[in-house]
Amino acid sequence: MTVMVGRKAPEFTADAFDHGAARKVSLSEYRARWVFLFFYPADFSTV
Amino acid sequence: MDSVDTHRIWQEKELSHMVEGGALFPMLSDPGGRIGSLYGVYDSERGVDQRGCFLIDPGGVLQSMEIVADPLGRNIGEVLRQLRALQHHHATGEYMPCGWEPGKPTLSKEQSRSGEIWKEWKTRHAF
Repeated sequence: MTVMVGRKAPEFTADAFDHGAARKVSLSEYRARWVFLFFYPADFSTV
Repeated sequence: MDSVDTHRIWQEKELSHMVEGGALFPMLSDPGGRIGSLYGVYDSERGVDQRGCFLIDPGGVLQSMEIVADPLGRNIGEVLRQLRALQHHHATGEYMPCGWEPGKPTLSKEQSRSGEIWKEWKTRHAF
């Protein structure tokens, strides 16, 4: 599958660190909101 | 890529010194590049997710994507400009020409294909 502008963004669920606690985060939680999703190679890098 | 525990340590050792309270958003863990692969940013040779930015609208549709090389940091101002432009489009249906920022001219959908953009948009608006 190729990710493409104008098409549905792929759904996912992942373990996350959020405001001091571990929890599961799903993209679908953010439906009805704008989402800025970003990837980076490693913690302690320049992001 | 990193684990939730590594995110916690990064938050405590570094990010909390940059922003009071640390990161204001969830930091996801992507072992094996499972999510990165879905978005075309996972580099299996290096075993890392590349630096990728994606803007997703309230309907879950991808509206913008950018992937940059490891040494190149992002421009958050540009991300916010794109977000404002996309929100403006969603609210009004208007098109935002090159270099658009709030206050600069917009185009109707018809104008954006008319061959007469020059009447509204000047080169100075690109910068």
